[in-house]
This record gives sequence, C-alpha cells and structure tokens, in this order.
Amino acid sequence: MASQASEAPNRLAINRLGIWLFFLSESFLFGALLTTRYYLQGVSRPADLNQPLGFVISFILILSSLTAYRAESAVAHGAQALFRRNILYTIILGTLFIAGVGLEWSEGFRFFPPSHGFGTIFFTLTGFHAFHVLTGILALIVLILPGQRGRFTPENHWGAEAIIKYWHFVDVVWVFIFPTLYLVS
Amino acid sequence: MKTNGLRRKLMIGFGVFGALAVIKVIEYFVGTRVKTGGWPYLLVLAFAGAVPILYYFMHINDLGKTKDRDDG
Repeated sequence: MASQASEAPNRLAINRLGIWLFFLSESFLFGALLTTRYYLQGVSRPADLNQPLGFVISFILILSSLTAYRAESAVAHGAQALFRRNILYTIILGTLFIAGVGLEWSEGFRFFPPSHGFGTIFFTLTGFHAFHVLTGILALIVLILPGQRGRFTPENHWGAEAIIKYWHFVDVVWVFIFPTLYLVS
Repeated sequence: MKTNGLRRKLMIGFGVFGALAVIKVIEYFVGTRVKTGGWPYLLVLAFAGAVPILYYFMHINDLGKTKDRDDG
C-alpha cells in the first residue's frame, strides 16, 4: 500500500521526463533541418516569399498556444467546460495554420519548387513541421471525448497535459522556423 | 466557476501571449526592414519568444518534481 501511495507522484515525474526526452530528440531533427538551411543557402531567400502570410500563420500558432495553455489550466482546476472549449479553439486554430501552410505551398511551388535550392529546404522544413501540427491536431481531437466524460481531473490529467505540451513544442519549433525561412537575409 | 488560482493562471496566459505578439511584430519589422546583418537580432528574438513558452506554457521547471505544481 505504501509503495502504491508513493508510485503516483513518481509516475508523473517519470512521465514528464519521458516527454521532455522525446522533445529533445525531436529538437535534434529540427535542429539538423534548420542548420541545413544555412549550409545550403546561407542567408539568402527568394524575393517571392510571402512574408505577411508567414507572419499571419505565426500569429495563429501563438494564439493556439494560448488556447492550449488555457485548456490545461482549466483542466488542472476542474473547469471542464473551459477545458473543452479551449481544446476546440486550439484545434480550429491549428487547422487554420495548416491551411495557411497549404497556401504558402501553392505559392512556393510556383516561385521556388522543390527542385530549387531554397525550395528543397522550405518544403522539407515546413512539411515536417506541418506533419507535427497535424498529429497534434489529431491528438487534441482524441482529448475531446474523454474530456466530455470528465475523464481528466485536477489530480489526474496527464493525458491532456502531455498532448498540450506537445502542442507548445510544435509552437516553439515554429518560433525558430519562421525567422529562419522568412526573415533572415 | 473560476477560482482565484485559475484566474491568475489565465491572466498569466494573456500576459505571455501579449509578450509573444510584441516579439513577433518586432521580429517581422527587423526581418523586413533590416536588409543585412539582422540575423543576430532575429536569433535573440527567437530565443526571447521560445523561453516564455518553455517556462510558462510548457512548465519546464516542473521537470523532476514528484508533486504537481502548486497552483494556489
């Protein structure tokens, strides 16, 4: 009984360590891709790059981080309706971000296709990132049903915490991708 | 019903979002107006944007803690 009582807090610490190690491994992947941008292209970028659109989708992603944070804060305090609402907002904003990336890609194919030096980096970086955003959206959708059933409590909401942390990680990655692709010159 | 602890957390969220929005605007301004040599500023701004997310949103300071954070 005593070992079971001590197991729960340790389990949370172990879970958190595990997800941060996962983030570290993903950081190596994105770090390599970001470094490749400078190795292949230096600091040059095409004039046709749609910087305003890049700024708008960056803003959307930051906003989605706010709603994800509000969702996590809500579930940690037992505010289930606020949790579900903000998860929904996060999903909508994430989908808008993906749509924005799609728009960028349609322009990118015209001005700097994948055969182009910058195009290679652009589509690889944004593609990898968009894939992570997409999996994040799917994971957030998975949260909705258990959230509606009151599955997540202030004492036990690791599932929600993990997925929301992943969403913030995706935002942190974009914080570095946006200036690397759109602004550095 | 929002408790004081939740209210405080939500206000922190708005504060961090506000700071991130300002950083993004400055970053965009530097990136579009500064033709050469702007990358050190962009690097600093990128880290300035990442740190609040890591600390306030991702709670990196909770690493290794065996108890959930005290929300007050």
